[in-house]
Amino acid sequence: MAFHLLQRDREGAGRLAETLSDALETIHHCVQCNNFSETEICDLCATGERDPRLLCVIETPADLLMMELTRAYQGLYFVLMGRLSPLEGIGPHEIGIQKLLERAGDGVTEEVILATNFTAEGEATAHAVGELLRQRGLKVTRIARGVPVGGELEYVDSGTLAQALLERRPASP
Amino acid sequence: MSFDPARVAMEPAFVLHSTPWRETSLIVECFTPHCGRVALVAKGVRRPRSALRGLMQPFQPLLVDWFGQGELRTLKTAEWQGGLPQLSGKALLCGFYLNELLMRLLGRDDPHEALFGIYAQALARLAAAEPLEPVLRAFEVSLLQELGYAPPLEREADSGAPIDPQAQYLFELDRGALRVVVPGGNAVQFLGKTLLDMAQSRYDDPVTLSQSKQLMRLLLGHHLGHQDLHTRRIFQELPLL
Ligand SMILES: [Zn+2]
Repeated sequence: MAFHLLQRDREGAGRLAETLSDALETIHHCVQCNNFSETEICDLCATGERDPRLLCVIETPADLLMMELTRAYQGLYFVLMGRLSPLEGIGPHEIGIQKLLERAGDGVTEEVILATNFTAEGEATAHAVGELLRQRGLKVTRIARGVPVGGELEYVDSGTLAQALLERRPASP
Repeated sequence: MSFDPARVAMEPAFVLHSTPWRETSLIVECFTPHCGRVALVAKGVRRPRSALRGLMQPFQPLLVDWFGQGELRTLKTAEWQGGLPQLSGKALLCGFYLNELLMRLLGRDDPHEALFGIYAQALARLAAAEPLEPVLRAFEVSLLQELGYAPPLEREADSGAPIDPQAQYLFELDRGALRVVVPGGNAVQFLGKTLLDMAQSRYDDPVTLSQSKQLMRLLLGHHLGHQDLHTRRIFQELPLL
């Protein structure tokens, strides 16, 4: 992208460089949720209207936006800014796990909801984080997975269907 | 009909690792019985609606079709084979360890059909929540044997005499087990029974379990060179938090 801009659009390249350098100077991590923020505590954490007993752990800022779109969650968040990726050498120190343990240990948080991806790496992250939080006496839950809303079994992939079968629950009466 | 490595269909495969490639694709390192480890470009699978998107995950038995020559082939299709519950918890972390061993020790396009079966069996044992350490040790031993790196475990080096379960042995990487004649010395010693147990994949004896871990670490370390395994470091870091 950089080469393309330098060749075709030097003015645009200049603007991009300026924007990036501004962002580097003004954007930090929120001290509470670890998301990008221009202020010490981001707007979402600062509202005071969210339920502070619930903490939802996600991998990226984009995941936080998706969770907010559900309008089904009233608690707070913690953004790991990554996931454990053992084969790439990304371990607990490379992502925000230590920061999460401090955040969840604030004495107010009661339940931590693990909403990392359902990939092998996201699952490994959920397992490791879950263990560490349970050791600290917190209630830990994992978001459920299965057939999508409006999903017809005929069109669901076999892996999802197999997992939905394994994780079946009592039918509501 | 002979096997044409440039046009492969319905080949059993496990994804070992994948990395993003360009905007919407992945480079997927697969382990297969007839071609060993192969690198496949999975075009467009990172698009939101790609049918293959959810399939390119490790620890799931797949059937894959690919074409092309050279180091990087092109994935044509992949099919979910099923039959293996997803790994979870500590077993999942162990799965990553197996994958890292294969990524590090297995060259590309070097077929090891028997090893493929051994790997699939190890995953099945992990998925069945068997005790982890025996599964890992058995896999490590088989891996080195299949790659031709394992010194004999049932015979003494040089003399070829059968290992005495009661005797103490030193293990020299290039030669094998040497009976300790004069007690003492700094080198790590192994009980003959440990070596025999390992040859038989028997890990119910706690002494065997701890000594075999030490021995495999020594042997693997020799073949891995200076760069230690990421997965091993991460296992050690996690409980310290
Ligand atoms: Zn915040």
